[in-house]
Amino acid sequence: MSTTAPVRLPRTVLRLHRTALIVWGAFVAGLTGWLVWLNEVTVDAVRAAQARCSSTSWGCIDVIEFLDYSEPTGYVGALTCYSFLAVAAFTGGSLIGRELESGTARLAWTQGVTPARWLAAKLAVPALVLTAGGTALVLVFRWGWAANRDLMGDNWAFADVFVARGPATVAYALCALAVGALTALLLRRALPALAVSVAAMWLLNAVLERHRARLWPAETRTSPKPFELPYDVWRLEWGRTGTGHRATYHPASHFWPLHLVETGIVLAVAALATAAAFAVLRRRTA
Amino acid sequence: MTDPAIEATALGKRFGRRGAWALRDCSFRLPAGRVCAVVGPNGAGKSTLLALAAGLLAATEGSVAVLGTDPASARPRVGFVDQDKPLYPQLTVAETLRMGADLNPGRWDADTAGRVVAGGDLDPGKRIRSLSGGQRTRVALALALGKRPELLLLDEPMADLDPLARHELMGVLMGQAAGHGTTIVMSSHVVAELEDSCDHLLLIGGGRIRLAGEIDDLLAAHARVSAPAETDLAPHEVVESRTTGRQLSALVRPAGPLPGDWRTAAPSLEELVLSHLRNPEAPALAPTPAHDTTEAAA
Repeated sequence: MSTTAPVRLPRTVLRLHRTALIVWGAFVAGLTGWLVWLNEVTVDAVRAAQARCSSTSWGCIDVIEFLDYSEPTGYVGALTCYSFLAVAAFTGGSLIGRELESGTARLAWTQGVTPARWLAAKLAVPALVLTAGGTALVLVFRWGWAANRDLMGDNWAFADVFVARGPATVAYALCALAVGALTALLLRRALPALAVSVAAMWLLNAVLERHRARLWPAETRTSPKPFELPYDVWRLEWGRTGTGHRATYHPASHFWPLHLVETGIVLAVAALATAAAFAVLRRRTA
Repeated sequence: MTDPAIEATALGKRFGRRGAWALRDCSFRLPAGRVCAVVGPNGAGKSTLLALAAGLLAATEGSVAVLGTDPASARPRVGFVDQDKPLYPQLTVAETLRMGADLNPGRWDADTAGRVVAGGDLDPGKRIRSLSGGQRTRVALALALGKRPELLLLDEPMADLDPLARHELMGVLMGQAAGHGTTIVMSSHVVAELEDSCDHLLLIGGGRIRLAGEIDDLLAAHARVSAPAETDLAPHEVVESRTTGRQLSALVRPAGPLPGDWRTAAPSLEELVLSHLRNPEAPALAPTPAHDTTEAAA
């Protein structure tokens, strides 16, 4: 009988949240499959229709066929970006909230596991799973979004595309995990915690989205004559001034600085929420 | 010498900054190896006391030592069964026991846990959510016993068991206490349920300790007396007195030999408990056995 045997807490966490793990796996696999299908199968049909269309004497652009490709690709981006809302609901409601409401957390805490270790495992295991799945989604979306730009009408600055094309997706998911845990520990009820954590994450995202353009200095171009901006810039202001024309915009090269600043802010919120969650737990239990 | 199983010093717990005190100024000492009944009306603070001892709540004031250390460090050696018997509904009985093994490395006694569950004729592949209240109690007890606790804290353990299962599980608990010297603390508001099996009593009322000590000592410290009305009961301490016609009947703590013309009888445990609960202003009594009954027990 050795007392040094490791506590198999991660295994228990996985066993408890088997269903959530399966749903998340199916979500990642489903979006990946969808995007692959769009870029391998749908795109051929769209191009064929385009070819048929342009072979007619008057020429045309088949908008309806275009939408078969561009619309679902947009959905995949939106689902990837806003998956953090589901993470917030799961954490606040099921992962932590329900355990505190039904008292099963107390069961775990009297099974030779300290409350702090319990919370650490409850956060670390989903964090790993979310990071792995989120990274896969981002990589697939970056590939799928760039594959057929000529069929897409969107731009890198679109709110969901902006998040889904980089680590901010993972950062939002981790932040939702931490915020969900904190609200659940504060409220100790599954349903209110679910609602509050989803609302808090939605608000954080809305605020950052609103101020996104200010996260990195924009470029300004003035000219006495009218000028064109490259098609792939994020245009902020555009118009005539007293002496000429003036435009404020983010060039495409600003994507990474803007994206990484936002990722950093979201991760900082996640860290603060995690620290607060542990502090709340420590104050409440012996 | 063995450390006392639980030693509370001016222990108090208040929920919220301005909430009412659930437990206040609670001092007692429970020697190891006892089977202790925690008795009191609903909302008296029994569950709060047990949760404090289990390290599930932080004390607002005072302190509680468990098995000679703080509740957090004693955690691996303490078993706890919550009043609502919370279990993970999505796990099967077998998975629940496997969780017990995973979370108590080096301590888990699969045989004992398996035996407790087997006693209830439970299908190990059944999900917890499909079990009856009594079956859940059985699984919860199996989890608590499987970790080979030195101290077992049970909050209303027998409430939803049928008489047969109650008898059987009480037997399992008493066997555990006798075989391994496990200290068992169980709360109930039904005194009769505990009378036969417990040797120590903790009576809690209004968030305070009213009586604490060996049941035999407590019973010996009280007498039920009948005397003519208008008899002065001083200097004996009166817990409860009632006058019917020309007859005065009272429960007293004799300060010395009682007068020969009083009719006296030994109170039952239930009478003792009820008298104290009916009279919250009666002074508390916690006879501290002069020098450690623990040493004698060890």
